[in-house]
Amino acid sequence: MPQEIDVSLVHVTKKFGDLVAVDDVSFEVPKGSFFSILGPSGSGKTTVLRMIAGFETPTSGDIYIGGERVNDVPPNKRRCNMVFQRLALFPMMDVLGNVTFGLRRRGGMSKAEMERLARKALERVGLQGLGRRKINQISGGQQQRVALARSLVLDPTVLLLDEPLGSLDLKLRQDMKLELKHLQARMGTTFVYITHDQTIALAMSDTIAVINRGKIEQIASPEELYRRPATHFVASFVGENNKLEGGRLVRMRDAQVCEVDFGGILMSGRMGEPLSPGDTVDLFIRPEMISLRPGRHESGFPGKIEEINFDGSHSLIVVNLLEGRAPITINVKLQHTEQAPEVATGDLVTLSWRWDAANAFRSPTGKEA
Amino acid sequence: MHLSTRFRRGQRLWLLLLPTLLWIGLLFVLPHIKLFLLSFMDRRSGAFTLANYAAFFNSSLYRNVFVRTTTFSIVTTLLTLFISFPAAFIITKVLGRKMKALALIAIVLPYWVSELIQAFTWMILFRETGVLSYLLQYLGITHHNIEFLYHNSTIVVGLVYTSLLFMTIPIINSLDTLDDSLIEAAYDLGGDFWSTMREIIIPHAAPGIMVGSIMVFMLNLGNYVTVTLLGGKNSLWFTESIYNQFIVRFNQNQGAAFGVILLTFSVLFVWIVLKITKQDLTEAM
Repeated sequence: MPQEIDVSLVHVTKKFGDLVAVDDVSFEVPKGSFFSILGPSGSGKTTVLRMIAGFETPTSGDIYIGGERVNDVPPNKRRCNMVFQRLALFPMMDVLGNVTFGLRRRGGMSKAEMERLARKALERVGLQGLGRRKINQISGGQQQRVALARSLVLDPTVLLLDEPLGSLDLKLRQDMKLELKHLQARMGTTFVYITHDQTIALAMSDTIAVINRGKIEQIASPEELYRRPATHFVASFVGENNKLEGGRLVRMRDAQVCEVDFGGILMSGRMGEPLSPGDTVDLFIRPEMISLRPGRHESGFPGKIEEINFDGSHSLIVVNLLEGRAPITINVKLQHTEQAPEVATGDLVTLSWRWDAANAFRSPTGKEA
Repeated sequence: MHLSTRFRRGQRLWLLLLPTLLWIGLLFVLPHIKLFLLSFMDRRSGAFTLANYAAFFNSSLYRNVFVRTTTFSIVTTLLTLFISFPAAFIITKVLGRKMKALALIAIVLPYWVSELIQAFTWMILFRETGVLSYLLQYLGITHHNIEFLYHNSTIVVGLVYTSLLFMTIPIINSLDTLDDSLIEAAYDLGGDFWSTMREIIIPHAAPGIMVGSIMVFMLNLGNYVTVTLLGGKNSLWFTESIYNQFIVRFNQNQGAAFGVILLTFSVLFVWIVLKITKQDLTEAM
């Protein structure tokens, strides 16, 4: 059975004068999925969202919502609704007035029916009984929910979210993150969420599209994106990483694994893109994938602990490798489990990791360290 | 020490307020008290009397002039609003930064010229041998001079022109604070131009509309120069009646009574309008 597609962009490009904000972007969002567009500010993600909503027209390419080409459909006629970054709630109305706004525009419904639907939507986001409050009389988290209810009450094919959690404090953001995910799962509405915050994208999404300078870098599941980044940018942008720069690719062990020379130290890693011997490459190693053993061992890389940063559930340990011509510093994330070794600053330790914890990409600068 | 600094700060505050207090006290409060007292005095004896007020309510001429002035002031205020609001909307929400600055200059520039000169320019345009009359003859629409001055509509044109700035600027200020994403959100939720205007934009701009309307209404009601020059002797504006009592008839007491009536009525009117539209004066200002 072919998967139903709710939103699709086909070779969409958007230019503002000479500036290419969105460069030949194509993707498909399956029905009922949570799709995130992740990118740094200025990457063009907001422009993509605004084109889906209808506030910008693509310079070239086509946009489809629910199978219908919507390039020439104005925003008030599209079956998608948007939750704005600054929420854009209407302060001149109470909560119920905000939620019924869309229903009133649609018409063909009694006032009582509208209010019933609105109250149901408010209940769904956990705001029962607040209908008569003014917008400035409710908290930031409650405003988020009103913004959600205001869009969801219209039962849109797609809900577009422009980083609405960005303005909340950390704790509230964590709570809302889970709640949003549960709400999406419960309602089955397709969500397109844009954010620069990878922790949000990784936690909530079924699929993430990473965008940089108007181009899609990779579209994959969060786990795939995290474990097997497709480009140098994705490896450095998503998640924490040790970035070892300017190694020389010595040889390939097979189609996947290569060995890289960093000033006399040989490290193996997964090739994130096709590489050949002699290439200058950067190696990305996840700090939590590195195992740390006290003392010197046969296999692995010996080093000395430079610094220990306690961070509650784990410690971030900064290790200087001992061998090699140039100094190499590697951060190790050590979970505080019962088996965790006890270490102190100045201790000799040995680091090791599986080859697939390290991803090798051609260095964009091309300079050997 | 803490107390003394606070005390000194209090003193300084009074010093800073002094010019304003003097201004309001000497040029506003005192004259109005005097005006109020005068209005209850007999012209000759100076004894207490209500005759000055009775003269107003017993004379159909004065009553009609008053009603006429009020009606025209309301009409011109509404006309000004209908011209100013779209202009303010376009300036704040449609034009780019550069064009916006240009438009603002274009709006303010005519007011660098005094109201008197503005009225004279209108006279040059409108008089029998004026620009408009000449233009119509040149175009062959008419073959003799037409007098455009001294009509009711001329007064309205002049008043609308002198008040545009005072309506447009407060509305621009209030529309400036309207987040564009609110308009986008309204569209996104299915709103069209009129519903967004009615439910989002106008309610947001209401304080600005209120301030502009109050100012323009008051300015119109108390206007003398434009009305007299463009309306001529028969403009029948209430301020003209006051002027006549004070200057032509030397009846200060009658003039004072008219002044108090005008002031009382306009304050009352504004208060009622604010009550009806559920606006708060402190919020509006």
